[in-house]
Amino acid sequence: MSKNTERMYDFADVLDVEVLSSVAPGSTVLVSGPAMTGKEALMFDILADGVREDEGAVVVTTGDRAGSVIDAIESRAPGMAGHQLGIVDCRGGSDGDRDDYGGAYVHHAGSPSDLTGIGIGITNSFERIQDAGFEEGRLALSSLSTMLTYTDEQTVFKFCHVLSERLDAAGFLGCFAIDSSAHDDRTLQIITQVFDGLIEIRETDGTREARVKGLRPDPSGWIEL
Amino acid sequence: MSDRDPVVLIVEDEPDVAETYRLWLQDGYEVRVAQNGDEGLDKLDDEVDVVLLDRMMPGLSGDRVLELIREEELGCRVAMVTAVEPDFGILEMGFDAYLSKPIGSDQLKETVENLLDRSEYDDLLQEYYSLVEKQATLEATKSRVELADSEEYERLTSEIGALRDDLSDTLDGIEDDEDFIATVRRLGDVEEY
Repeated sequence: MSKNTERMYDFADVLDVEVLSSVAPGSTVLVSGPAMTGKEALMFDILADGVREDEGAVVVTTGDRAGSVIDAIESRAPGMAGHQLGIVDCRGGSDGDRDDYGGAYVHHAGSPSDLTGIGIGITNSFERIQDAGFEEGRLALSSLSTMLTYTDEQTVFKFCHVLSERLDAAGFLGCFAIDSSAHDDRTLQIITQVFDGLIEIRETDGTREARVKGLRPDPSGWIEL
Repeated sequence: MSDRDPVVLIVEDEPDVAETYRLWLQDGYEVRVAQNGDEGLDKLDDEVDVVLLDRMMPGLSGDRVLELIREEELGCRVAMVTAVEPDFGILEMGFDAYLSKPIGSDQLKETVENLLDRSEYDDLLQEYYSLVEKQATLEATKSRVELADSEEYERLTSEIGALRDDLSDTLDGIEDDEDFIATVRRLGDVEEY
């Protein structure tokens, strides 16, 4: 629980579960589901929801380039200010597709295992957002599965814990995506332990559903997306 | 934490300066003093927790000593003592803190204390991970009913809770950016070795 602010995060507009209308600052949520079930889109929705409410947003991306992440957020939150947004692009090298980020802060880390580079990018993003006067912010990391292919489970576990503590100190909200079909139950269980809450996504007969566990004792029911 | 005092190694070519540091630290720490880089390496072993390393020394430079320490994979924390404030290369150079001369007594003690806290944090995090791993292994191999009856599982669960609390009490829950970056860098270092 953060000591910084009492204001709760509300993203029940994105996922209509009561518990999500009042999430404590510093909380972290794991978004878990099989490949191609829209985990990243859901996290972008959660971030854009905050941007529209005058919050900052930070994306740590191992897949999409910084430019396309900015486009994804901006298309969901038209009129956002560039300085609301910080991107840590972990794909290594420079962003070939563009160099104008519309005022957003972009940090390039060497690879998904360059934890120091990722840490510096996150720290700088927080600083820029807070210096611009935004007290609240949401961070999304996509995805832990890619990080797990570059480093071992133990390192990813520890990294997530330390980052959760940093989020707590900042009073920000964190969401982290994992591809549940890419790891065994034991690994998923270990990684899940780091987070305060879990949003599970499943797809049955073409219908995508999500349910929320943690944050409060009982799991929610399944909600159609 | 063991009962022994933490060990601090001072590597400093100016004897007066080294003696001043030694006097400031002698209560609460076992202090070793080396007058140059070679002697510093001689006095360095697994027991050393923190090294105060002067950057500008005749003979083996502080930078070189640091490289050798990292190559040896010794677990100690290194505070580089410099005459000028270094630029942002600090993170890439692999030291844990820097102190710009002249250094005051409180500043020195705080730095040493902070570095020891970081080591403790790393140890707690390692312990936390191993318990979570054990717990996950039990969960993967036993049924819910078996888990509910298992004393080992119950003990693990309560130990994990206690460790989480200890972790958030250490380093004030990673409130400080330097603590955050240093801790994260350390995770990456382990990976590279």
